[in-house]
Amino acid sequence: MIAFGSCIVDPAAYIRYARPGIQAAAEPGATVFAFEAVGTICRSNNLLLDAAAARDDLEALVLVDEHVELADPGLCAALREAFADPEVAVVGAMGASGVRSIAWWEGRISRGPVRQRHHDHGGGEVTAHGWAPIEAPPATVDTVDGRLMALSPWAVRTLRFDEELSLGFGHDLDFCLRVREAGRRVVTAPIAAVLHHTLELVPDRDLWVEGHIRFAEKWDGRMPGDAPTEDWKARARRAEAERDAARTLGYSSTSTVDARLAPLERELDALTTSPSWRITRPLRALNRRLKQR
Amino acid sequence: MIAFGTSITKPEVFRRSAEPGIRRAAEPGSQVLAGPATGSIFHSYNAILDRAAQLEDLEALVLVHQDTELVDADLCAKVRDALADPQVGIVGCVGAIGVRSIAWWEASVTLASFINRYEEHGGGDLHSFSWAWDDAPPYAHTGEVETLDGFLLVLSPWAVREIRFDEGLGDFHGYDLDFCLQVREAGRKVVTADLRAIHHRPLQMVPDPERWVTAHVAVAEKWDGRMPGIGTGPGSWRERALRAEAERDLALAIVHWKALEETARTAAAQHAIAETRGSLSWRLTAPLRRLSRTAA
Repeated sequence: MIAFGSCIVDPAAYIRYARPGIQAAAEPGATVFAFEAVGTICRSNNLLLDAAAARDDLEALVLVDEHVELADPGLCAALREAFADPEVAVVGAMGASGVRSIAWWEGRISRGPVRQRHHDHGGGEVTAHGWAPIEAPPATVDTVDGRLMALSPWAVRTLRFDEELSLGFGHDLDFCLRVREAGRRVVTAPIAAVLHHTLELVPDRDLWVEGHIRFAEKWDGRMPGDAPTEDWKARARRAEAERDAARTLGYSSTSTVDARLAPLERELDALTTSPSWRITRPLRALNRRLKQR
Repeated sequence: MIAFGTSITKPEVFRRSAEPGIRRAAEPGSQVLAGPATGSIFHSYNAILDRAAQLEDLEALVLVHQDTELVDADLCAKVRDALADPQVGIVGCVGAIGVRSIAWWEASVTLASFINRYEEHGGGDLHSFSWAWDDAPPYAHTGEVETLDGFLLVLSPWAVREIRFDEGLGDFHGYDLDFCLQVREAGRKVVTADLRAIHHRPLQMVPDPERWVTAHVAVAEKWDGRMPGIGTGPGSWRERALRAEAERDLALAIVHWKALEETARTAAAQHAIAETRGSLSWRLTAPLRRLSRTAA
């Protein structure tokens, strides 16, 4: 039995996004664990793992963030195929290899048909991680995005999310690193989903920075391929330079976005301030009223 | 005599930008030391300084990038006014205090009197905050600063004869901060004055990040402990490294967000335009617009 689990902070979001996707993807007899969130994401996820671990017939547990809408009726078949390899312990819709920090998206991204539906800027839909080159799944990766991850029975019964990561950031990478330390694999699969999320990658910036630091302190020198740092001064100098370069790139990006949009905005402005648009305003108002009836 | 100097790598850019500005600002008898670049900007500028140092009647040397257009016809009067204080070694139109690295714009900028004129995406102007004094924020003021933006530097005769750009630092980035630090280390002042310029440059501020990062580290290493603030930061080296790596990744996440935002905003604007053009009222009034165009 493939079970589903969500920890719920915002019930309306769960009802609107996660639940319909789970209902469409779940097989008859599947158990859906929908629990109120308790404490951090790690503690909440562990509650789901505890509940799922008790099920003797468990084939996998799919952790679904309340803002993620599964859009894949073939999800269970895709998961069974991925878990057919007994070494696979975690399957995700989005992940990356070459990951150095909780900013896993700086690695080589592997992702299936995942779209991001946003409500900012009038609403719309963009391709998730649309700024980066994407490799198609399946792929063995360092980590998957914790908003949609499936765990094997071994992972459910053997590992727990680290509740000492009290800010929660990087809980998914931390879990995947421990899976790999235990000799198991983390993979992506071609799972379709819709992320209902603001376009901003990191809304809680100050907290995220603190979470990044705590994670780095935990794993420093232990990440696969990492050597212990011998010259912290050189590392700090380089990081500070790269930080300033990245910030400056951000300023350039802002100017570029504004510059690229300026011709479109001028065109729209010219249209909507034209005499013919203005003299037909009563017509449009009338049309709106008729439609409202 | 106030001289002007430019190091030229792209003659057409010089002809379009720096040359008309110099013509506008120069006085009869002003020397213009403009010639092809000879290696790095450090080296090229030093060659100009060597030539200017030979000018006995030198009052100041105005160094402009080839893509910088001076706007003030009375620039020379403003320069004389700024250099009336013999302690002033260098003057500019963009400056900052609280500077810790070559990314001086991360510090507290006190004056930014320029336009960034770009050609991409149909072209446009970005006005910096003190381009027009009426619109300037309360923190905008001229006076002493820690560094200047190198696209427009006015050097006193003392600076021309006593200080040189440090050719060991690289080929471009950080030359302005390092020069200002040398001026201050020698006990002279770095100041902003009410000068204005148009910087004809692309929107991308750091097109060569790896060289920029190398220069950032080199300048920090050179000045840490020699000049307060430069290369410093709170915490141990380990703490600084981990925090900077986190802040770097956050900054990159913001860059990615901007890319997504551009996609979303472009789609929204295109949709609004299509909706307007496809509306009944727009189609009904098409004859009116045709008539208007014919009349025009």
